[in-house]
Amino acid sequence: MTEVQARQRSQVWWAVGGVAVVVLLGALTRYLEQNVPVFTKGTWLGGIAKSVEYPVYAIVLGLLGNAVLTGLGFRDRLAAGFRTEFFIKTGLVLLGASINFAVIVKAAGPAIAQAFLLITLVFGFTWWLGGKVGLGPKLRALLSSAVSICGVSAAIAAAGAVQARREQLAYTASLVIIFALPSIFVLPLLVDAFGLPTAVAGAWIGGNIDTTAAVSAAGALVGEEALQIATIVKTTQNALLGVVAVALTAYFALKVEKTGEAKVSGRALWERFPKFVLGFLVASVVATVFLESGGDKTVIATVNDLRTLFLILAFVSIGLEFRVAPLREAGWKPIGVFASATVFNLLVGLGLASLLFANFSG
Amino acid sequence: METDEGVRRERRLAWNEDWAATIVGLVLLALVLTQFIPGWLVP
Repeated sequence: MTEVQARQRSQVWWAVGGVAVVVLLGALTRYLEQNVPVFTKGTWLGGIAKSVEYPVYAIVLGLLGNAVLTGLGFRDRLAAGFRTEFFIKTGLVLLGASINFAVIVKAAGPAIAQAFLLITLVFGFTWWLGGKVGLGPKLRALLSSAVSICGVSAAIAAAGAVQARREQLAYTASLVIIFALPSIFVLPLLVDAFGLPTAVAGAWIGGNIDTTAAVSAAGALVGEEALQIATIVKTTQNALLGVVAVALTAYFALKVEKTGEAKVSGRALWERFPKFVLGFLVASVVATVFLESGGDKTVIATVNDLRTLFLILAFVSIGLEFRVAPLREAGWKPIGVFASATVFNLLVGLGLASLLFANFSG
Repeated sequence: METDEGVRRERRLAWNEDWAATIVGLVLLALVLTQFIPGWLVP
């Protein structure tokens, strides 16, 4: 076995170890979520324990695991197994089965309008502000895509489109997670404080929090209906990712790098289209037909339990992935731009959600 | 313009992960609907 093969094999084992850590913490989350309210029933902690939902246990355990593994020096080697995107996308495909297809059709109009307006306004604002403070075009493209579309996966697509460097991508991904983590808890609190209707709350969360996993966590904290609307809105934003990535490819080729090689083709659009969106729609259609033709409702309850397991694994992974180190390397300017864009997104998102989802009823 | 190898690897991984999640999600749904995965098996 050559040295390269030995190194690759060792990396695979570390990644498997990382997945095992996620599954272990996920199992602990499920155990705590189901048993803490039972253990504390009748005590002063009972009321609090009953209101703590599984995203809280999952994220806290992920952060604790992160601290322990960092202390032991294993975290970075295990990180390849913290597959937030895989877990959340599988969970969202399964979530599709709990949403009647008629609701998706009904929400599609306002969701597309909100996604289109939010992406245009927030991308434009972040791009403009990044230029004002003197950030380079590649980092501006990454930050603008991440904050306006769907966090890490948008940053990955944009990085490919504009030929960004690995460090710029790692930096943007860290920013996304650092900002997403508090918003998981802050947005549901603001929803309560403002007394927002469930559909508006879901649309606000879905249009606001950058990364899809964090949208699901915040939506789940507000409630099942909010989670469904938040997911529909976020999935719609995800679907527009391909369009933005292709537009960025063309812009950079023609205006920034001036190579004149702009490949704007149907194939490029398809390659960048997030396929899990199709899985989400297919799951909704299949489950709707299943129930309409007299299928057993308890079977869908099992699908929902399975979905919760995958969401737990995604939320544990968010906690494990959290890192502040890359931020120190890039300075404060991009953080300022990202923070301002997040506030802008919050305000415009609230306005659009209130306007477009005011009379929505599933 | 050359794409950074690290970015190319991330894109490939994201693309594969996207397909994998879609297929795993739909297969699990099919297994539950056909009751190959019974309710008691899912904690």
